[in-house]
Amino acid sequence: MTTNINPRLTQVFRFVRCSYADGVAELVYAFDHGEELIERVRFPHAPALPGTHQAAFDQALKLLHLIAGVSYYKAGVPPRIEVVGGPLDGSTADLLDALYLHGLAEFAYRNGLDLRGRIAFPRGGDVLPEAHALNLPHRTLVPIGGGKDSLVAVEAIKSIGGEATAVWVGNSPLIAACAERTGLPTLNIQRELAPGLFELNRLGAWNGHIPVTAVNSAILAVAAILYGYDSIAFANERSASAATLEYDGQQVNHQWSKGYTFEQLLGDWLHQHVAADLTYCSLLRPYSELAVTRAFARLTPYFDVFSSCNRNFKLLGPKPADRWCGQCPKCHFVFLALAPFLAKPRLLSIFGRNLLDDENLAPGFDALLEYQDHKPFECVGEGAEARAAMYALSERSEWQEDALVSRFRSEILPQLHVAELALEPWLQPAGEHRIPARLQRALAFFA
Amino acid sequence: MKFGGTSVATLPRWQNILELVASRRAEGARVLVVVSALSGITDALKQLCAQEDKGKRIEAAKAIAQRHYDLLDHMQLAVPDTLGARLAELAQLAEDGPSLLGELAWQALVQAHGELMSSALGAAFLSHSGLPTQWVDARDCLKAIALPNQNERTKLLSAMVETKPDPALNARLAAQGNVFITQGFIAREELGRTVLLGRGGSDTSASYFGALLKAQRVEIWTDVAGMFTANPRQVPSARLLQRLDYEEAQEIASTGAKVLHPRCLSPLREPRVPLLIKDTNRPELDGTLIGPEVREHAPSVKAISARKGITLVSMESVGMWQQVGFLADVFANFKQHGLSVDMIGSAETNVTVSLDPTENLLDSDALAALASDLAKVCRVKVIAPCAAITLVGRGMRSMLHTLSTVLAEFGQLRVHMISQSSNNLNLTFVVDENVVDELLPHLHELLITAGALRTDDSALFGPSWQALYGSGEVLPPAASWWRQERRDELLKIGAQSTPRYVYHLPTVRQQARELKSLAAVDRLHYAVKANTHPAILKALAEEGFGFECVSPGELKAVMAVVPESAPLLFTPNFAPREDYAWALTTRATLSLDSLYQLEQWGELFRGREVVLRLDLGRGLGHHEKVRTGGSGSKFGLPVEQLDAFLRLADTHGVTVRGLHAHLGSGILDDGHWGEVYGQLASIAERIGSISFLDIGGGLGVPSHPGEARLDIAALDKVLREVKAAYPHYKLWMEPGRYLVADAGVLLTKVTQTKGKGNGQIRYLGVDTGMNSLIRPALYEAWHEIVNLSRLDEPATSLFQVVGPICESGDVLGTDRRLPEPQEGDVMLVAQAGAYGKVMSSPYNLRDEAEEIILA
Repeated sequence: MTTNINPRLTQVFRFVRCSYADGVAELVYAFDHGEELIERVRFPHAPALPGTHQAAFDQALKLLHLIAGVSYYKAGVPPRIEVVGGPLDGSTADLLDALYLHGLAEFAYRNGLDLRGRIAFPRGGDVLPEAHALNLPHRTLVPIGGGKDSLVAVEAIKSIGGEATAVWVGNSPLIAACAERTGLPTLNIQRELAPGLFELNRLGAWNGHIPVTAVNSAILAVAAILYGYDSIAFANERSASAATLEYDGQQVNHQWSKGYTFEQLLGDWLHQHVAADLTYCSLLRPYSELAVTRAFARLTPYFDVFSSCNRNFKLLGPKPADRWCGQCPKCHFVFLALAPFLAKPRLLSIFGRNLLDDENLAPGFDALLEYQDHKPFECVGEGAEARAAMYALSERSEWQEDALVSRFRSEILPQLHVAELALEPWLQPAGEHRIPARLQRALAFFA
Repeated sequence: MKFGGTSVATLPRWQNILELVASRRAEGARVLVVVSALSGITDALKQLCAQEDKGKRIEAAKAIAQRHYDLLDHMQLAVPDTLGARLAELAQLAEDGPSLLGELAWQALVQAHGELMSSALGAAFLSHSGLPTQWVDARDCLKAIALPNQNERTKLLSAMVETKPDPALNARLAAQGNVFITQGFIAREELGRTVLLGRGGSDTSASYFGALLKAQRVEIWTDVAGMFTANPRQVPSARLLQRLDYEEAQEIASTGAKVLHPRCLSPLREPRVPLLIKDTNRPELDGTLIGPEVREHAPSVKAISARKGITLVSMESVGMWQQVGFLADVFANFKQHGLSVDMIGSAETNVTVSLDPTENLLDSDALAALASDLAKVCRVKVIAPCAAITLVGRGMRSMLHTLSTVLAEFGQLRVHMISQSSNNLNLTFVVDENVVDELLPHLHELLITAGALRTDDSALFGPSWQALYGSGEVLPPAASWWRQERRDELLKIGAQSTPRYVYHLPTVRQQARELKSLAAVDRLHYAVKANTHPAILKALAEEGFGFECVSPGELKAVMAVVPESAPLLFTPNFAPREDYAWALTTRATLSLDSLYQLEQWGELFRGREVVLRLDLGRGLGHHEKVRTGGSGSKFGLPVEQLDAFLRLADTHGVTVRGLHAHLGSGILDDGHWGEVYGQLASIAERIGSISFLDIGGGLGVPSHPGEARLDIAALDKVLREVKAAYPHYKLWMEPGRYLVADAGVLLTKVTQTKGKGNGQIRYLGVDTGMNSLIRPALYEAWHEIVNLSRLDEPATSLFQVVGPICESGDVLGTDRRLPEPQEGDVMLVAQAGAYGKVMSSPYNLRDEAEEIILA
């Protein structure tokens, strides 16, 4: 690539075009009049698309183009957004305005940017026709992330004999190993970022967190129409909807695209514009992280393959340290959340070390407890949840003397109200969800 | 002679057995062969037992019969009557099911058929092949004894056998012939029922027979040549143990070695019957001979092992001090919760015990319940996951002084418990489990270098596992240029004047080309600190190397010699501001390694591209011990400060173009670089601007005789794998010592000799020492030392090779076996090309060594 533009000085971000042929979707973007950035999404063994599904597929593909653009838009955050095919209808523009503003809120906070008023997708296009039901087969795409949540979702669906496929985007060997362990049929979709993005990074592009769950959701919507699935069941908990922090009057939530607001926006949009019988939901939505970890604690066969650590382990080894870095908030949270539900030696064998007996990790666990710090920018449970788990451990003899549990007892606990630290309430389902009737029986798995 | 399941499963393996038995017979021995069931048959029989459906049991019995028919078919033998009877009996048992005999007795009898059938088949094959062989029913020979605490299950499925010598059995067999075959794994109890011996049963049967018959020897024929000084999967350089006493062998077997079940040694101890482990595929190898204690060997550590998954329970209370019955109460809790204690360590107010990883511990509430009961009487702490590292050797306490470097290694770790039993056979350290995989090979190496594991005694220690079974070819030690082709020249150079360093440029080039064969590496920099001789710099520039410098002086020396096109890296550590300022005026790529540099001098670097040197330290896991990582080391930016560094870089318009991490030196394990590289790459993914990763140097150069060389092909493979996962980063390396160490030698002359302690200790003086070569004094580095003037004479005496410097540490080599020296002999110190001349000093104002180049 020979462009020498400084991405931070660009003026327009353009959605140039998108196309699909032979299992490959091409999504094309550009800054100003710079070179085209072409992303490719590869759908393996893609079947021929029935004519009846074409319109739905085109809508899903178009949405994918618009959503996946967030990876590129954020490199320059130019003042103007242009869609070459013409302005969007109101509901689509609303979805994208919300996604780009809230999904990039952490990115903006960390880079000292304010995106309010800056993100405005062109609107005023024709209202899209109402989508029909496509009679999609009663089977479910379950995205696998390598962590505990999606594995719980898989087992919940398996427990009611539901037909499902384990799907993942990208080539993580860890996820592949987990997907294989589920025993379900698998689907591995590949996403190739435009090489030009690496070049833009070298030229000083803005960098940071993007709402990757939204991108993956849009990819799966395309896949659902292409391969024929009537549901996409993510594994996002209740706590994903909670903001990480509030800054300058704006809620910043690291997991916004895993939250219920986005689930509703996208779910409704797919219903209205893609297929009336396509469901997009999270199977874990009524549950807390603790309820999910409790369910996971019964799934011994996954203990030596899963990892929620968000260090990207592109190379897998057999040791726990090859899957758990032990340093990041995800490692800390999952360790803490599993601890009340597993025998201590079993838990320690999963992680290969005792994170709660390492004084150096005190700041990390403090942040989880929201003690002297805000919740980390990670997909972790709520502070109150972490405090309940820690309190439970502090009451158990086999944990009490570990450095950080002992510190909790002496320093933090006296400042808390014990009445608010009970574990039980966290294990009860609560709040809204969009789980279709066909899958609701699977929720018994969490009892 | 005992043969396991895979050894009896095919015709070629039976032909092998025939040969081995015939060869023992030819030596005049009478042979009793003990066999296991054909591989897979015992499992098939267990499955048959678990099958409730009669029809399926009959099917299973038929499939098992078919396996034997197939093998007979291969042997071109008809079904012998003995086997036919067994097969009929098995079919009947399958049909009857457990109701007649009772579940456990039926199971034992069904499973016993694996060995009954294989031995019957074997008898037919051996006899038919010209070696008349008598079939013996082991149940007529081995009598199970009833023990207290035995329930019906252990009585029938893991029985113990009377081991008193049985002359009547000897007589009975003597009357029948010279070669016998019988079954492992089975015996008979007092009521006449068939019983099994449990895990490791066939080996144990062989031992029982050895003891009953007072055999000349028990031979266990298996797929490996014997016991090793460590688990070969963890330590490929582990050596074959050729000679052990029963107690040592039992200790090694119980602490990890899988080749022999620990219980098969005790029956042999009293009748003093030796046990020999042999490799069926490689009968020419000596194997491991286990027998009564031998006194003529120097005390040596025999093995090092690690057991993982250990949980410690530490109990603290002043209440236990001088209290009668306190411990009895405490241990009653362990019994009540079904947890078995292994090791115990105690102080006045603390008792710490270890628990092995049982299912009860891992998947039940046993430990939680135990802890809450114990908490009523003391403070409890559960420490896990731990690993027990055990050194085994007779007379461990008398070897403690040799273990100082090994103990120093433990000094850097969290050691939770040390245990040493009164039988003086072992020394166990309980440490965190996550350090073990890297620690074990390192300790094994240290034990050898410290002289605690005396691999120089070839009566005790055989070849390494790598040499015997390692994948790929074993790399031969590199032939030394100075030993053959350039020897006369070196003698002339030495005769003219000493001390002198001599550098052999062809060796430098050869090493350089070897590294260039690493296809994954995009750029190589020579770490010039190892040797800054202009001729070497020039040669490496011609080979296409870049240069890594750590001071302005090094940069100037390099720029004076190499062409403009050669890339330069400047990687200082705690250097003054002006060094950076000056380096920025050169073409060198600059490396930063602390927040201070950007906080205080940020504007100096505005608009520049830099390399960031990271300390992966404990942050990413497993490098506590590596000297240039971890908070004990002054190098690198700790990973947790990375975000702060990037913010500062952004503030000052500095672009981080590369990431660099260096592990340490002398690393001979190719996996290390892949790991560092993978870690750097995963960090780089979080930083947009990175285009290359520098994984440093530290490529090891073996110094001890017999030490394996770094396997460049294996390293290449490891690096290519990581590269394939992260293709968008260029890969850089900065080797130093690897390129030049072997290319240089230090020549010195014999000055005088001296004997001390009745001539027990002999000193050989040479005309230079730590002033020219400080590595032995500084890092206890081992350099080969030879008398070049008498290279072909037999090395007869042990010498301490010392220099003329007024320091007791001025020793170039200890306990070196050399020919009788004469004043003026030219001595050669090998591997002196790296960190030799560059680290020399004018101490004592002795003349400095000249440097000579051989093209």
